[in-house]
Amino acid sequence: MAKTYDYLFKLLLIGDSGVGKTSILFRFSEDAFNISFISTIGIDFKIRTIDLDGKKVKLQIWDTAGQERFRTITTAYYRGSMGIMLVYDVTNEKSFENIKNWIRNIEENASADVEKMILGNKCDLDAKRQVSKERGEQLAVEYQIKFVETSAKDSLNVEYAFYTLARDIKAKMEKKQEASNPPARSGAHQIKPNDPMRKPTSWLSRCSLL
Amino acid sequence: MSSSSVEEITDQSNDLFTQDGVLLKACSGRPVNELNSIGMLCIVQNSDGTKSIEWRPSDIITVCAVQEQDWALVNAIGRRQRTFSGNLTADYATARARIIRMPLNELKIFRVTNRNQQMSFSNKVGVWQSTFFFQHGNAEVFIAYLKSHVKTAKSSRDRNTYLVVEPTDETRALNRSFTELDIFQENTTDVVWNIVSNLKERPYETTMEAFSKLSSIGLDYNSGSQLLYYGNEASSKRDVSEEVADLLTKSMVAAEEAHSVTKSDEYEVISMKPTLPPRPSIPRSTPLSQEKWEGLQDTLGRVTEMDGVKQLIFRGGVAHSIRKQVWKYLLDYYPWHMTHAELKALQKKRTDEYYCMKLQWRSMTEGQESRFTEYRDRKSLVEKDVNRTDRTHPFFAGDNNPNLETLQDILMTYVMYNFDLGYVQGMSDILAPLLLLMGNEVDTFWCFVGFMERIASNFDMDQAGMKHQLLQLQQLVMFASPELAQHLALKDSGNMYFCFRWLLVWFKREFSLIDIMRLWEVLWTGLPCANFHLLICVAILEAEKEVLISGDYGFTEILKHVNELSMRIEVNKVLSSAEGIYHQIISAPHLTDQIRIILGLTPLGTSAPTEDDDAPEATGTNCKDNDAAANVSTSGTDMEEAVLEYDGIEISIVTQTVWALLA
Ligand SMILES: Nc1nc2c(ncn2[C@@H]2O[C@H](COP(=O)(O)OP(=O)(O)OP(=O)(O)O)[C@@H](O)[C@H]2O)c(=O)[nH]1
Ligand SMILES: [Mg+2]
Repeated sequence: MAKTYDYLFKLLLIGDSGVGKTSILFRFSEDAFNISFISTIGIDFKIRTIDLDGKKVKLQIWDTAGQERFRTITTAYYRGSMGIMLVYDVTNEKSFENIKNWIRNIEENASADVEKMILGNKCDLDAKRQVSKERGEQLAVEYQIKFVETSAKDSLNVEYAFYTLARDIKAKMEKKQEASNPPARSGAHQIKPNDPMRKPTSWLSRCSLL
Repeated sequence: MSSSSVEEITDQSNDLFTQDGVLLKACSGRPVNELNSIGMLCIVQNSDGTKSIEWRPSDIITVCAVQEQDWALVNAIGRRQRTFSGNLTADYATARARIIRMPLNELKIFRVTNRNQQMSFSNKVGVWQSTFFFQHGNAEVFIAYLKSHVKTAKSSRDRNTYLVVEPTDETRALNRSFTELDIFQENTTDVVWNIVSNLKERPYETTMEAFSKLSSIGLDYNSGSQLLYYGNEASSKRDVSEEVADLLTKSMVAAEEAHSVTKSDEYEVISMKPTLPPRPSIPRSTPLSQEKWEGLQDTLGRVTEMDGVKQLIFRGGVAHSIRKQVWKYLLDYYPWHMTHAELKALQKKRTDEYYCMKLQWRSMTEGQESRFTEYRDRKSLVEKDVNRTDRTHPFFAGDNNPNLETLQDILMTYVMYNFDLGYVQGMSDILAPLLLLMGNEVDTFWCFVGFMERIASNFDMDQAGMKHQLLQLQQLVMFASPELAQHLALKDSGNMYFCFRWLLVWFKREFSLIDIMRLWEVLWTGLPCANFHLLICVAILEAEKEVLISGDYGFTEILKHVNELSMRIEVNKVLSSAEGIYHQIISAPHLTDQIRIILGLTPLGTSAPTEDDDAPEATGTNCKDNDAAANVSTSGTDMEEAVLEYDGIEISIVTQTVWALLA
């Protein structure tokens, strides 16, 4: 079978029930939004191939059920994922507080070097907002994870989020490949895997504050 | 001959049964260096229709089990190595020369030793020609299968030795003193399957006459299989089903841990492939009509023929016009024996009870709520799900739909009814069809309570109930569809997690609302056996087997394929094949206690009567006659009765009344 892509990345969406994981995925894979979505039972995934710096990258994005009770089953699917989107709902304080639990959950069940990103979804619902953007940014700094506010409904930053995560994975992977095939010249200097995180600014202006 | 109808012969020789993990211990005329090698012991059918026992060496090969080819690019993650032994061997040709073969019609004698782990065969009394050691578990399943193809008699001198009695040899002066028992008068499975295939043509006529014959054969068969637990070894032997259960548990745990699936032996049992009898195609019937339903009630409104009603519903479901009534009985809201007057009183009582519980949460003030986190969380969870429940159906569509509010009210009241369980995702899915049908809030609530009673363990905090069912499903697939089970195991899908959604909400997401009503009402009858919903899973998977295996579907494709079956499954077809599979399983010569237990049948091992015990095991067959009070419930001891009643072909044991209605 001829491969129609250069890379395949497995990504995962996690977060409390109702934060909009399925909606985000639907927006990204189908570019659509459906207000009357059904809750996710068990697990499913969608595929979309994107172009990244001249390479075709196939994203296989897994969508899990949010309720805590199902975690014993859903964590079985964490294995092998290379990137994880942690989603909370800006109109739901609890879902934001739970991000810490989800991070712990990842640490226990996913590989240590998995790329992560925090998404504050439903930023179109300004009137109902309970979590300010600053608090989201603060949390992201605390955990050294990238952060962006999204709206699956208004198609805001969803593309950006997936592209950013995919790009980070690609960079990390290429770095690793380099490390395992060091260039011929001796004394080659290798890039430190933990570069201080450069904070992207492009998206900052896109979601209005409060 | 006996099984040429069982197996389609496509190849030169055809494996009827294979047992992996069998060591060659001794073989006359073979070099020593060939001994102690591992292989597969099979019963094969040759192109001329004769059968042989065959042992094939299998050289251990290393399979680079990358989950799917796609992952090969990503070296660091998701790639593992595993060792497999089995029929994947590459240089089959070299191994071929080492194959040991013994035509079944030459087999004269065999012996089982070493806690049923070792078997020796010969074509003459006095010397043993070949000896094999069963590494995994014991030879029990193999012997059971072998005995369905040859007539055997036990040696009186050595209880572990069997003589093969050829039909034509009856008259030959075979040392009669050796013969203690002549077990099979004719090949049991053949007789059973003749009856079942007759069923296909004349289902209702055949069964009545056939049943007496069938049940007596069943008894013969049972006494035959008792011989598996020979002599003094009976107490010390380890039950093969336990063994398999252990391995399954191990593999399930292993599947959850990325790097632990390395032991080759954990999968070998899975490749054991005994064949099931052919599947009977049992037609579905018409739904229980209003006329029949009314005829089944006495003048006071009591339903006296509960078992018969359940039989009818199992066969054809319920006509939509009377569903609303009948479901209340099926879901244990209305007791079958109550008169109209009693039901009226009950309904009033339940109505009061409902509104009392509803008031409990309705009267909670905002202040109270703000200080009651757990309650608040549940409420918001319910709200989120109600807004996402069957919204495409007109009954629940649109903004501010009052039916959504009713869903919300019922679920919140259920939280008060069962605060320990609370609200778990999936419950709104269960509730929606009930409300759609009942319309009435109170009736819907109590029917929901009845349904939840049956599936509460699906919503356990630790998901133990779901895991248990997934394990049972895995065991059933392994028994009913070994090739599929093997494929799933190879693709890291042996834990059956991809069936999670099916089981959690009883296929609610897989069928339209009208079809799910049909499926549920059939399942609520508890017929023809316990856990019939798991056989529905087996039936759906079995229908997809070809696609999954020939397409070499991997971990992700399997999940995708199964998820995408949603709304594409024909409910009547799947019910019919699940019932067919049920009959295949219970008539299989190698039926294990593990499977019996899952289906609610009495395990043979634990109740093992003494060898001389001729007492028929299944005398429960006629307890139907004294009927009205007979209570078929799903609880332990009662189940035993019910299942014995339905053992064999269940159409044959419907009550007189129902029989008349069917005719
Ligand atoms: N206004 C607004 N609503 C959204 C947005 N994203 C999702 N929703 C709504 O939020 C609800 C929940 O969305 P889902 O995508 O089903 O949530 P989920 O995280 O997949 O939930 P589970 O499957 O239960 O874990 C739905 O009613 C969506 O319509 C958004 O960006 N803006
Ligand atoms: Mg979802």
